[in-house]
Amino acid sequence: MNRQAALQLGAPAGLIVGAALLGALVSRSTEIYFINALVAVSMVVALYVFVGNSGVLSFGHISFVAVGVWAAGVLSVPEQEKPAFMPYLFGFLSDTTVGNVPSLVIAGLVAAAFALVVGLPLMRLSGLAAGIATFAVLEITNNILRYYEKIGPGLNTFSSVPETTDLAQAAIGALVVVVVAFAYQRSRFGRQLRATREDPAAARAVGISIYRQRLGAFVLSGFLAGLAGGLYVHFLPINVDAVYLDLTFITLAMLVIGGTTSLWGAVVGALAVSGLDSALANAENGLELFGRTLEVPAGTRIIVVSALMALVLVLRPRGLTGGREFSLARIAGLTRRKRAQEVAS
Amino acid sequence: MKAILASGLTDFLSDAVDLQVQVDAIGLGAVFALMAVGIGLVFGVLRLVNFAYGQLIMAGAFALAFASDRGWPVVVGIALCFAVVIVLSLVMERAVFRPLRGQSPAVMLIATFAVAFLLQSIALLWFGSLGKTAASLTELNRPFSVGSVEIRKIAIVAIVTAAVCLALLVLLLNRTSIGLHMRAAALDFQTARLLGVRANRVSAVAVLIAGVLASIVAVLLTVQFPTVTPTFALRETITVLAGVVVGGMTRLLPATLGGFTIGYVSGLLGGALPTAQSQYLPSFVFGLVILVLLVRPGGLFTRGVPLQERV
Amino acid sequence: MTEPALVVPALEVDGLGVVYGGVPAVRNVSLSVRAGEIVGLIGPNGAGKSTTLHAIMGLVPARAGDVRIGGISVRGRSPETIARQGVALVPEGRRLFGELTVAENLELGLAGRRRNGAGGDDLGAVYELFPILADFRARAAGELSGGQQQQLAIARALVAQPTVLLLDEPSLGLAPVVVDLVFSTLQEIRERGLAILLVEQRAQRTVVLADRTYVLANGELRLELTPADAADTDRMVAAYLS
Repeated sequence: MNRQAALQLGAPAGLIVGAALLGALVSRSTEIYFINALVAVSMVVALYVFVGNSGVLSFGHISFVAVGVWAAGVLSVPEQEKPAFMPYLFGFLSDTTVGNVPSLVIAGLVAAAFALVVGLPLMRLSGLAAGIATFAVLEITNNILRYYEKIGPGLNTFSSVPETTDLAQAAIGALVVVVVAFAYQRSRFGRQLRATREDPAAARAVGISIYRQRLGAFVLSGFLAGLAGGLYVHFLPINVDAVYLDLTFITLAMLVIGGTTSLWGAVVGALAVSGLDSALANAENGLELFGRTLEVPAGTRIIVVSALMALVLVLRPRGLTGGREFSLARIAGLTRRKRAQEVAS
Repeated sequence: MKAILASGLTDFLSDAVDLQVQVDAIGLGAVFALMAVGIGLVFGVLRLVNFAYGQLIMAGAFALAFASDRGWPVVVGIALCFAVVIVLSLVMERAVFRPLRGQSPAVMLIATFAVAFLLQSIALLWFGSLGKTAASLTELNRPFSVGSVEIRKIAIVAIVTAAVCLALLVLLLNRTSIGLHMRAAALDFQTARLLGVRANRVSAVAVLIAGVLASIVAVLLTVQFPTVTPTFALRETITVLAGVVVGGMTRLLPATLGGFTIGYVSGLLGGALPTAQSQYLPSFVFGLVILVLLVRPGGLFTRGVPLQERV
Repeated sequence: MTEPALVVPALEVDGLGVVYGGVPAVRNVSLSVRAGEIVGLIGPNGAGKSTTLHAIMGLVPARAGDVRIGGISVRGRSPETIARQGVALVPEGRRLFGELTVAENLELGLAGRRRNGAGGDDLGAVYELFPILADFRARAAGELSGGQQQQLAIARALVAQPTVLLLDEPSLGLAPVVVDLVFSTLQEIRERGLAILLVEQRAQRTVVLADRTYVLANGELRLELTPADAADTDRMVAAYLS
C-alpha cells in the first residue's frame, strides 16, 4: 500500500481514534455523545459503501440497520428477560442467547442476507426508480418489524440488552467498518463499480456487469449496516421508530454534507453533523454563553441539520470534502491551483 | 379455518357494499386524487418528486388551527391557509427547486427530503408534538340522511370539490397558453425553452397550482381530522406517492387515477376491514410499488412509458 | 425585394469556445450572418456543428467568445430569452411534440415572439407558406410523415417571427425529393429577409444553396466556400480531410 493510500485510510481512522480519545477524557454524560457519533460513523460509512461507489441512491439502508438491531437485540437479551417485552417469539429465538461479538456478527450476516434478497430484484434500477423502490423497502421493513411479534419486540422497546457498546466497542466497530470500506473501494470490485458510476456505457463496453457489481456492494453495505445496527442496540434502548424515517434522514444528511463520493467525506460528515447535533442537544438543556444562559428550544437540532443539508445541496453539492479522499497536498494549499487547472481543462 | 375466512369475506363484502362506506371511500379517493395531481403536476413539469408536499398540507392545516384558536371566522382561516401554503410553495420553488434544476433526480429527491424534515421540525418547534385543533368546519363532518343511509357531508363536499378542481385544471391545461406551455415542458423541457417557453414561469405556475390543491386538501382533511400535528398528512402523502408511482408517474391522468384508486381502496379497507387484518396493508402496497417499478415502470395505467430522466 | 444589409449583422459569432463533456468542442469560431443571407456550416460528424448552434441558442454555456444578435450580446442568457431576442432553432431530429396537434405545436412557437400582439395570434402567414400543415392542423404531430414533420419544425420556428433562423441538419432522414422542397423553402425564407445559419451533412447541396459555407472540423473553422467552389471536388475533399 503506497503512501497516498495509507493516508487515505489513516485520516478517517485517525479521526475515529481521535474522537474516541476525546470521548475518554470527558464526563460520563458527555461520553454518550461520542459513542453516538462513532456508531453514526459506522452507519454512514455502511451507506457510503453502496451509495458512494455506485452513485445509486438508497433510501432503504436503515432497514438493514433495523434488521441488525433486531437480530442482535433479540439474541442478546438474556433468556429470562425475553418474555417481558417479547412474549410471542419463535421458539428458537426465545431459547437462544448469544454473546456480544457473536451477536454483532450475526446481525451483520442476517442483514446481508436480507440485502441480498432485496438487492436481487432492485439492483437493476437507477436514479429515481431506485430511490423510490428502496424507500418502499424501508416502509415494508418497518411495517413487518412493527407488527410481526414472533421475530422481535414489535412496538415495544428493546430493554435488557447488554450495554456492551462503550467507547472502545464503538470505536473498534467504526474502525472495522472503515477498513472494510477502504479495502473494498481499493479492490478490483470497488474500482469496477466506480467505473460504472462515472460512465456506465464505457464500463459495460469493457465487460463490467453493472448489476453484479452493484449487488455485491449492496450486500456488503447491508452487512456493515447490520453490524452498525448491532452496535446501536447494545448502546441505547431502541424501538421500531428509532430505525425509521428520522434515522434515514440524518444518516443521509451526514453523508451528503460530508461528501457522498468519498470515505473521508462519510466519516467527516458523520462526525461533524454528530458533533453539531450533540452540541445543539446540549444547548437544548440550557447553554451557558458568556455567563448568560441561552434557551435553545427542543427540535432546533433537526432544523439546523436539515437547513444545513439543503444549503449544502444547493451551494456545494459535493459536500464539505468535495467528495474527495483525504490528501495532504490539498491541505498545503495546492488545492486552489489544482482546482483552477481542472476547471480550465 | 375456511369457514372463518368465508364468513370474514362475506362480512367484508357486505360491509363494502354499504352505501356509506362507498361514499366515504370515494370521498377519500377524491382527496387523494387532488394530492396526486399536486405531486404529479410538479413531477411532470419539474421532474421533481416533492417529498415535502405533505408538509405543505400540514402547514395549511396549522394555519387553519391558528385561525380557529383565535376565534377568527372560517373564511379568514381558509384564506390564511391558502396564503401560507402558496407562499411556502413559491419560496420552496425559488430557493430549492430552481437552483437544483438540471441536477440528477437523486439529488433533487434528497433535497426535497431535507425540506420535508426542515418544515416538520419547524412545526414541531412551533406547535409542539401534541398539535393544535382546527375546529372551524366540523359541522361538515356530520352526516345527513339519504333514505335509510347516513352520509357525511364532507364526503360529498370532497367529491364535488375534487371534480370541479380537476375540471378546471383540464380546462387550464388544454385551453390556455400557459397550460400548453406546461404540457410542452412536461414532454420536452429543453425544446420548449428554445421555443421561448419561460422555464421559471412554467415552473412557478405548476408549483402554485400544486400549492392551491394542497390548501384545498388541508381544508378537507381538517374537517375529518381536526387535530393537527407536525406529522399531519404524512402517512397520507406517502400513500398517495405510492399510488402515483403505481398508477403512472409521468402522466397526469394515470397519476391521478393511481391516487384515487389507492384512496378508494384504503377507504374501503379502512371502513370494511377490522384493524387486525389491515396491519400489513402497507407492506402489500409498497410491495406493489416495487413490482410496478421493476416490471412496468411507467405505471399500471399508462402504455408502458418508462421513467425518463430529464437531460 | 430584400433590403440591403444593415450595418450590424443579424447574427455574429465572435471567437466562440465551448467545452462539452470536458473536451473543447468548439474553438475560436467566428462567423456572421446578415439579413437575407444563408450561411452554411458543414463538416464531419462530431466536428462541433451542433454544439455551435446550441451555444448560440444558450443551451450550452460558452466558455469563451461572444454571440451577438443584431449587435446585442446574448452570451450567458437563457434559451427562452435568446428565443425572444429573435433567434429560432430548428433542432436536429426536429424534436416536435408528437402528442400535441400540429396547431398546438405551432402555437408554442408564439412563445418566442418578442411582443405578444405583434402580428397577433394568427398563424395565417405560416399556413400560407406550408399549406399542407393547414390541412393537418388538428392531427397529432407524430402522425405526419418525415417531410411534413420537417416542414412543421421549420414552420414552428418561423411562427416566432425571428430575425435569425438556425437549422440543425434539416435534411436528415429525408428523401431527396423532400430535401428539394425543404431547401427551396429556405430560399423563400431568405427572400423574406431572415438571416439563416444552416448546419448540414449534405455538403454539395449546402454549398450550392448558401451564399457562403464554412467547413468546421475538430471544432475549428477551416475553410470558406462559395457556390462556385461546388464544382471543385478536390477543394471539397481537402476541406473535409484536413
